Amino acid sequence: MTDSCRCSRVGSILLLLLLALLPLSAAGQRNSWSLPGYRETVRLGSFKFGSAFARDTYLSASSYDGWALGLESDSWSGYKPSRLFRYGRLHSSLVFSSMKNSINGGSTLELMSSVHYGFMWPAVESDADDLLIGPAVLFELGVLYNRQNGNNPANAEGYLGAGLCVDNTCRFRLSGHELALLTTLYVPFAGMGFAPDYDQPYWYIYRYNEYGKALHFITPFNNPAFTFQLALAVPMGKSRFTIGSSFDFMTNRLGGHSRRIDNNMISVGFVRRFQVKDWNR
Amino acid sequence: MRKSLLNRVCVLAVLSAALIPVSCSWNEENRDNEFANTTKGNFMALWTIMDEHYCYFDLKKEKLGVDWNEVKERYSVSISDKMTPRAQFEVLCKMLGELRDGHVNLYSIYDVGRNWSWKTDYRTNFSKDLRDKYLGNDYVICGSGYYYRILDDNIGYLVVEGFDGGTTSGRLDAMFNSMALCNGLIIDIRDNGGGNQSDGEFLASHFTERKVTWGYSRYKSGPGHNDFSKLYANTISPASGDVRWIKPVVLLVNRGCYSTANDFAATMKALDNVTLLGDTTGGGGGLPMTSELPNGWVVRYSSAPTFDADTCHIEFGVAPDIRLDMDDADVLNGVDTYIEAARDFINARIVNP
Repeated sequence: MTDSCRCSRVGSILLLLLLALLPLSAAGQRNSWSLPGYRETVRLGSFKFGSAFARDTYLSASSYDGWALGLESDSWSGYKPSRLFRYGRLHSSLVFSSMKNSINGGSTLELMSSVHYGFMWPAVESDADDLLIGPAVLFELGVLYNRQNGNNPANAEGYLGAGLCVDNTCRFRLSGHELALLTTLYVPFAGMGFAPDYDQPYWYIYRYNEYGKALHFITPFNNPAFTFQLALAVPMGKSRFTIGSSFDFMTNRLGGHSRRIDNNMISVGFVRRFQVKDWNR
Repeated sequence: MRKSLLNRVCVLAVLSAALIPVSCSWNEENRDNEFANTTKGNFMALWTIMDEHYCYFDLKKEKLGVDWNEVKERYSVSISDKMTPRAQFEVLCKMLGELRDGHVNLYSIYDVGRNWSWKTDYRTNFSKDLRDKYLGNDYVICGSGYYYRILDDNIGYLVVEGFDGGTTSGRLDAMFNSMALCNGLIIDIRDNGGGNQSDGEFLASHFTERKVTWGYSRYKSGPGHNDFSKLYANTISPASGDVRWIKPVVLLVNRGCYSTANDFAATMKALDNVTLLGDTTGGGGGLPMTSELPNGWVVRYSSAPTFDADTCHIEFGVAPDIRLDMDDADVLNGVDTYIEAARDFINARIVNP
């Protein structure tokens, strides 16, 4: 296990503990960071940077790590109060990373995109914190490009599936400032994943129209993955500025190969709140 | 507060259950590479990568007597953690050389390990100087590595040095139009080391007026030596443009025709108006893929075998219709035996079609 992996793991376990414990201990009160009302949307745009790790045995038996840059967009939408899933949570992300192996400097590039949409039920709503949970539609698609390879230079990996989204907002005051800690977790449960059938060349997939061999049913056991976000929202005029971290963990064992991509990033974002006008009124 | 606490406990229970497979996988996937970056670790990594991904073990056992397990036993005694990286490289290259496969290479800072016995163990049957003499100075360039001229006896002569996307449909159409009155065409692919399979098929598609199955392919579908996909038919259809060549074609081949040039020979051999003349091609029927050792050396190996129209392997080459060797006396006299035989063949077809 590399040092960066160990740090990521410890950090993420701590963050999960924060998710569980902070809301209960915070002596919070409802402040300007609240969930959107009906027909209201809260949007958060972030720039993120950090580290990336990739290992894809279709391309190489070696592991690669390096830097990553990305953009992220989140929005919370308020539906009718009578609905069970009273909130919608849309998250999309685009990450580019450049990685090297530790031995000869062979390099790999990564482009990873994801779109998640959660239908959120308010399990807890209080002045101190809100906890939303619900089913989610998750889509992730990434490409790894190994610059040393000949006929297998790139591999795409991704899935479209159904899963779970958990979203926690913890409000508290610090030195008179109204702050909020935002935590989100997406976990896929089932769906369809893409991976070549062992050493199936992409040229064959295209030439012989053999896409069926490259599609696999995914479960948490052959495609364990999650996206975890933690952000501290700080007031800035009528809006909020956020600083936080996000961790994308995507791995699978499909088609006889194992793949893993991690993006562990620090994010800086800006929050805006929108009211959708009711034109029918 | 109590309801809030209960809800939160329920959510955490669901979350924990959801993350159990993730955390199990995390532990497994976080392992460092399977083999250590030591002399023995790299040896085993190379042997295992080949064992699980190379596609010709059964064929090499049948034709060359190569037993991959025996190879491991034999070479492992030469491996010691005290040897220098260069010495280790030489041993690993020698081990790969047992397979006698031009698509098997080991890339390091010291050298590119290779076995070119498919070519070097045989007569070359090719002289570039002689070929250039036949091309003359006023040949036409119709793409990168594509040169042609019309010989004195009204026979077209096309040289294709490689299949690396060197020409276009428009250029080929222009060439065929300029040869419209020729009695036949000689295509010289001697010492053509290959390129893109689609480029070879693109050129071949100009010599047929019907869809032709020229061979089959399959790929490794698992780590076992016999884990393969089903066979997929390789077909060519007539070129989409207006121009196609249906007059006699003689394809000149030698042991230097490898990989895509080997596929091209198999493709042309399946066509009615084409005759292969020369030596058996060098082979190279496996589509190569690449992996890496723990020390960063890159290994290339054949992973997807190709077969001819009779589902026979073309890893060891495609046999010509007319077997011929270059005559040493001809070479001394500035005569290319292959080109002259091809001219005679085409001229005889004109008299006696």
